[in-house]
Amino acid sequence: MKVKIKSWVGVATWRWVANDDTCGICRLAFENCCPDCKLPGDDCPLVWGQCSHCYHMHCIMKWLNSQQVRQLCPMCRQEWKFKE
Amino acid sequence: MSLKPKEMNFSDTWGDLQKTVHGVITLSNIPRYVWQDRFADVYQLCVAYPESLADKLYIETKNFLDNHVKGLLEHLSTLSHDNIIYNYYECWRRYNKGIIYLHELYSYLNNQHIRKNKLSEAELIYGNHPIDDLEQMEIGELGLEIWKKNMIEPLQGSLVSAILECINQDRNNNGHLINAEVVRGVIESFVAVNKFKKRNNIELYRTLLEKPLVAASGEYFRSQADIWFQNCTITQYMERVIKLFEEESVRCQRFLHSSSHAIMKQCCEKYMVEDYLCALYNEAKSIISQERQQDMANMYILLRSVSKNLIPYMTEFKDHIIEEGLQRLNEIKGDNMCMSFVEIIMSIYRKYKEMIEKIFQSDKNFTSALDKACISIVNYSPDNKSYKSSELLAKYCDQLLKKSSKGLSEMEVDEKLTDAIIIFKYLDDKDMFQKFYSRMLAKRLIHQNSQSMDAEESMIDKLKTACGYEFTNKLHRMFTDMKISEDLTEKFNSQYLPDKRVVLSLNFHVHILQAGSWPLGQTNITSFTIPQEFTQSMQAFEKFYNCQYNGRRLTWMYHLSQGELKLCYLNKVHLITMQTFQMAILLLFENTLTMTCSEIVNTLQLNWDQFLKNCVTLVECKILLANTKELENDTVLSLNEKYYNKRTRLRITASLQKETPMETTQTITSVEEDRKLFIQATIVRIMKSRKLLKHNALIQEILSQCITFNPSISMIKKCIETLIEKQYMERARNSRDEYSYIA
Ligand SMILES: [Zn+2]
Ligand SMILES: [Zn+2]
Ligand SMILES: [Zn+2]
Repeated sequence: MKVKIKSWVGVATWRWVANDDTCGICRLAFENCCPDCKLPGDDCPLVWGQCSHCYHMHCIMKWLNSQQVRQLCPMCRQEWKFKE
Repeated sequence: MSLKPKEMNFSDTWGDLQKTVHGVITLSNIPRYVWQDRFADVYQLCVAYPESLADKLYIETKNFLDNHVKGLLEHLSTLSHDNIIYNYYECWRRYNKGIIYLHELYSYLNNQHIRKNKLSEAELIYGNHPIDDLEQMEIGELGLEIWKKNMIEPLQGSLVSAILECINQDRNNNGHLINAEVVRGVIESFVAVNKFKKRNNIELYRTLLEKPLVAASGEYFRSQADIWFQNCTITQYMERVIKLFEEESVRCQRFLHSSSHAIMKQCCEKYMVEDYLCALYNEAKSIISQERQQDMANMYILLRSVSKNLIPYMTEFKDHIIEEGLQRLNEIKGDNMCMSFVEIIMSIYRKYKEMIEKIFQSDKNFTSALDKACISIVNYSPDNKSYKSSELLAKYCDQLLKKSSKGLSEMEVDEKLTDAIIIFKYLDDKDMFQKFYSRMLAKRLIHQNSQSMDAEESMIDKLKTACGYEFTNKLHRMFTDMKISEDLTEKFNSQYLPDKRVVLSLNFHVHILQAGSWPLGQTNITSFTIPQEFTQSMQAFEKFYNCQYNGRRLTWMYHLSQGELKLCYLNKVHLITMQTFQMAILLLFENTLTMTCSEIVNTLQLNWDQFLKNCVTLVECKILLANTKELENDTVLSLNEKYYNKRTRLRITASLQKETPMETTQTITSVEEDRKLFIQATIVRIMKSRKLLKHNALIQEILSQCITFNPSISMIKKCIETLIEKQYMERARNSRDEYSYIA
């Protein structure tokens, strides 16, 4: 062998993978954070429901807290269950 | 002695009492028992049966004192007029003392008879009682009142002119007046005679002495100033005036009532400074530009008491600093622009800060003049490149924080970074600095090129202190990502791989960056077919990463990745740290001796620019040989079998990691874009809460909310236009310069 890789420092960026580009509740892009936060990323994570809809965690928590009777996904009106 | 009231023979008792009164007022020796008997007489007269004789006693005592002082005045007029203040003073001293004793002898009358009859202070102030001339006074006050009427009034003209003459002599004798105590005593008598008065007790002193003294002194100051100004240089003039100020201040302390000190000082200043302001300002320019420190200090002393007088002087000082600063900045030459830039500004800052402490007594007005000057110097942009200072300052920090910062100790680096913060505070475009700084920080972190993480974090803390958390939170974020990446690498290598029984062909590290927080730019993005030598590790890591985090997708940034390649085809093994693209290029020579540029580009799917940059470095450091001078499509490349470097380990990445002009332009554009978005968001926020707002008021509010940059009015206007087009707001119907919010 003429040359051999001894070591490599790989650099990668991460983004959210979601079906939509924007949060169905606050209408802001997932690239950005929810309206209550300053910085996107770990501080303002995304969560998925079993219906496969995706929201800012802060947005869906606010929404669920505001629901009196049953907790439904705001997009498809199915009962909201967090995806494991 | 019995305290019981009894019938009294007034004329007998007064006859005895009068002798003692005379003795007391002339300071004769009064035997103790006589004093006690007369003290009792006063009591008995006041409480006499069947009616009090107090009023009678009062009238007789008043007549007695009246005649006594008239007698003294007559006596004085027989003495030489030349000695009038001395003779007056002697008389006054004795009389004043005597009256104090007499006041005591009449204690009972004072306390029981007169005080009872006296109107209260409140009645005097708020009531409508006419002040009755006939109202009785306590004996002490009565005595002084009589002195005032019978002695001061007739003599005041001669006394005051004699005092003025004495003060004049004192001025001419450098403060060595022989009878200073006498003059002071006479002046004090003008205040002392009113010491019982509740209000206006220095009125007499004011009208009698202060007014004529101020007028006469003013005349004296005016003529002195005139003579000095005609015959002296400005240096001498200021020295003399300051000396005179000091002497006059001492003179005031020696002779005058404390209420006069400020008035006399103002009088000095009026005739010697205020009247010469124009002349002083005319000299200020050359004094400051020649930095004649003594003159500068003296002029400050002359001007400081009226703060508006200082303004033209401070402006001159400020302009001088700016002139020196810009001149020195224009002389900067050479490669190390950023170091020179900071050093020049700091040397000017330090020089004038010290001058302000030494010469201007740390006057806050001058400190703020220095601040203004520094703002002008720091933000000076000769060719409309207003980003220049931000870039230079960020580069300065970069040089200090990078590895190999010329053997500076940690302390020295910290001191130099503290200097950077001083300049940072003067910077108009703090957001621009932040962008440059964060890009350079990103490179230091990604390329592992920081001298010390402690120094990095301490600098960010300094910025946070100077400009707030908002300003630095993205920078903090970058640090967090670095720490998380370290943990991920560790977990991947020491847990995940052994668990899965996977052995990688190379030593693997990652930096996983959160896309929005890192200023990575778009210029270097290229397609790239990653050689399969890397893919095993990358795929293993991606699997691991997806187990760690839900719903995240990784994008590899090859142009930021680097590694160490072992060259085994040479006599000596070399371990060279290089960019991933360079590694990929060299890997292609495994099964061939030569390749053309276009073959490499096609195999790797690299864009030409990226290929060129990376390949040129390989050729320049002689790892690859090329058959043409410039790299063209058909240039043939081959491995240099004779490559030799005396070091076994080396890196060839430095030139590739430098900030390119294109990146600079990109940074500037992105800052401008951010600014527009910030202004638009600010306008919407303001209009939403105000609904209706005048143009100028809106501009003012926007300006007050832009902390990290100074937006131009034209930029604000453009943003308003954009928002009107987007129908967030509109021009108000009835008014031309008003906007209303559209909900
Ligand atoms: Zn949301
Ligand atoms: Zn949030
Ligand atoms: Zn749903």
